[in-house]
Amino acid sequence: MSEQLPPPGFDSQNYARPNQNWICGHGREGNPCRLGPDARGRCRATAECKPVLETKPGETKGRWRCTRPGGACESGPLPDGSCCRPIAKCSPVPTLRLVRRRLTLAVIAASGAGLLILLGIPPWRDGFINPGTLSQGHSVAAFAEMAATNHLKSNCGACHVAGHSGPNGIVRAAFHAKPGIFDFKKVVFAQPAEPSVMDANCLTCHPGKNFHQPDAPVISCAFCHAEHRGAVMVATTDANCDFCHGDPAKMAVSRTVSVIHHFSTDHPQFRFITEKLRDPDTLKFDHELHLTATDIPKLPDGLTLDCAFCHQPDASGAYMRPVEFERNCRVCHSLQFDPQTPELTLPHGSAEFVSAFLHSLPAQYAQLAAREKVADASDFVETKLAGLRSQFGSGVELERRIFLSTATFGPQTQIGTLNGMTRAIFPGCAYCHEVKSSTAGSPEITKPVMPERWLPDAKFSHAVHANIACGQCHDAIHSQETADIILPPKETCEVCHSPQGGVVDTCAECHNYHNPPGGMTDGDTLMTKE
Amino acid sequence: MKRFRRQFFPGLFALLIAAAATLVLHAHFRRTLPNEALLTGWILLAATLALAFYNARKRLPFLPLGNSETWLQVHIYLGFFTVLLFLIHLNFRLPHGWFEITLAWLFALVSGSGGVGLILSRVLPRRLATRGGEVIYEKIPALSHALKSEAENVAVGAEAKSPAIAEFYARRLARFFSTPQNTWLHLVESRHPLNALISGLDDLRRTGSDAERAMLEKLAALVRQKDGLDYHRSLQLTLKLWLFVHIPLTYGLLIFTALHIILVFGFSGGAR
Repeated sequence: MSEQLPPPGFDSQNYARPNQNWICGHGREGNPCRLGPDARGRCRATAECKPVLETKPGETKGRWRCTRPGGACESGPLPDGSCCRPIAKCSPVPTLRLVRRRLTLAVIAASGAGLLILLGIPPWRDGFINPGTLSQGHSVAAFAEMAATNHLKSNCGACHVAGHSGPNGIVRAAFHAKPGIFDFKKVVFAQPAEPSVMDANCLTCHPGKNFHQPDAPVISCAFCHAEHRGAVMVATTDANCDFCHGDPAKMAVSRTVSVIHHFSTDHPQFRFITEKLRDPDTLKFDHELHLTATDIPKLPDGLTLDCAFCHQPDASGAYMRPVEFERNCRVCHSLQFDPQTPELTLPHGSAEFVSAFLHSLPAQYAQLAAREKVADASDFVETKLAGLRSQFGSGVELERRIFLSTATFGPQTQIGTLNGMTRAIFPGCAYCHEVKSSTAGSPEITKPVMPERWLPDAKFSHAVHANIACGQCHDAIHSQETADIILPPKETCEVCHSPQGGVVDTCAECHNYHNPPGGMTDGDTLMTKE
Repeated sequence: MKRFRRQFFPGLFALLIAAAATLVLHAHFRRTLPNEALLTGWILLAATLALAFYNARKRLPFLPLGNSETWLQVHIYLGFFTVLLFLIHLNFRLPHGWFEITLAWLFALVSGSGGVGLILSRVLPRRLATRGGEVIYEKIPALSHALKSEAENVAVGAEAKSPAIAEFYARRLARFFSTPQNTWLHLVESRHPLNALISGLDDLRRTGSDAERAMLEKLAALVRQKDGLDYHRSLQLTLKLWLFVHIPLTYGLLIFTALHIILVFGFSGGAR
């Protein structure tokens, strides 16, 4: 196939110089001049040769000799010593090498100029160098508001020292940073999460940053809270927690917690189970009885006595409202003390109120007579009081039994109906409460303690778990004592919150890191050891 | 080239081993590495500078820095390895923000053009060798000019006395001999334009006299030579043009990288 090309003859007189910036314009016609263009691309062609003056011995004028490469021309030099064959000027052609160099310089110039412009104009600079959208709390609008109240610099300057500087300030900040640009040793050996100067800016708006244990190492805010990752701040990952909780050396100082990597692998069983903690509440309540007993009377409006009857979610749906007597108990436990008079019931909530109520029984019966429009009120009152006297003997005995007795003396069967429904018996305050007799005044009733949250430093939402039956987590139907803490064990959570279960099981899913104001809640105070 | 082929499999094996080892080390130490992004960034910068130094090495032939072929080998394998370092530095995530996206694009274009260049430098010389002949790129214009002169002389010169050939030359061949032709078609190995011209000349030959036939044969040979020159020009130009992307953007990448380092430290937590 080589015959399809002209012969590759090498002409030493017309040596191509592709490494030079310019080539002779006549090269295209195949006859470039020997001299070629100068370095700036100007044609240097003059004539085919530069004649040389030769003077023989004895001569004074001498003779010009043609020096044309390839042989002297026929005409020879002109009398004035110039060549008789001038070369036509050409338009030198840039080589590819020069074109590439020019393109490179253009890219360098464009990059430099573009960057200088973008960095020199603050609004453009902030938008250009911002490595990602800020979280909503740190957005421009939020910072503008904070700048007014916390004396912060607006925009990038609120967090970054160089944020309110020009290009010079950014370079200065870079070379004064710690670790510095050339501080390679620090880069390799520095502790991760080491607090930085920028943390001080975080504390301007987030004062009193607390850690969950006093002996926890102080770490940089940015270690867990990665910014510039979108409007919603990226959640703290297990890797962040692993920094301490995955390190046996760091966890050696902990009193209670060992090394933990993941919930489903090495998270310990909940302490209320391992340490057999008990509910210290003095109220006597039997979940099993209330949920399974067959003789529980019907409730008004066709309601049934299930978990949801007493345990109602709060406004957020995350946690349950505390059980209240008036809302949840009185519908059955009416505190009717006179078997013959279901309309009259004791007040609840204060021993003094109960005592005062009993000491004003004649007046209470009189008011009842007025409400019921009884014709002979005094006879009505006297009859009721006589009935009580026949049952209890005296007012003192009545008060003693109401406060201290656990024996049933209220309505026994179908008496005392309200709206056609049967009511529960009233044995006396001590049936449910811890009642201590007092030498002076009314007996002392220990106030029930019902915490709104059992694990106050953990996060949980009943609303998220609404599709799961209560009994799947809370073994209430086997609990007969108030002291039973019927929270689920770890294994119950693990059914879903594990790689097998497919539901997220990160640390931050349940745990908060920072202490709430006032320090971490000591969960132990809510429970007692068995 | 022979050395390149001989070293291809060992080089590829070494690259794969290095890549696997890097990935394993990164996965193992990434959680415990202090300032992981800084560390991977410095390593990436060192690799990038080593790659960029290949161009400087070519400008310093007098220094005893090893032969250019070895440097090219290192440049190629280190180039692929640097792409992996780049992905590790990015944490295998897409970059955010105008500056980082621009920087990433520059890296991608430099790497991509390097990859394209590698493919071109392996494929096109083979195709040129298969086509046959040798011609220096810089001499192609002069050779084309000579062919054009010769063709003009044959077709419309003083001794040419064939109106049909002169008409055919004016209509079909004048432009063909005047400027480089069919650059893109040569890249895809299309011979359709050449065949069309030869076919046109053959048509004339069937009805031509003996003298005309001799002229047409000469013209056909010149057409083939010009087509060969255009083929060489097309492929050799392509071999040179990818560097018009690779080298200028490398400088742009280095400028943006320098600014990236300034910004990282200037806006770091420890900036003062």
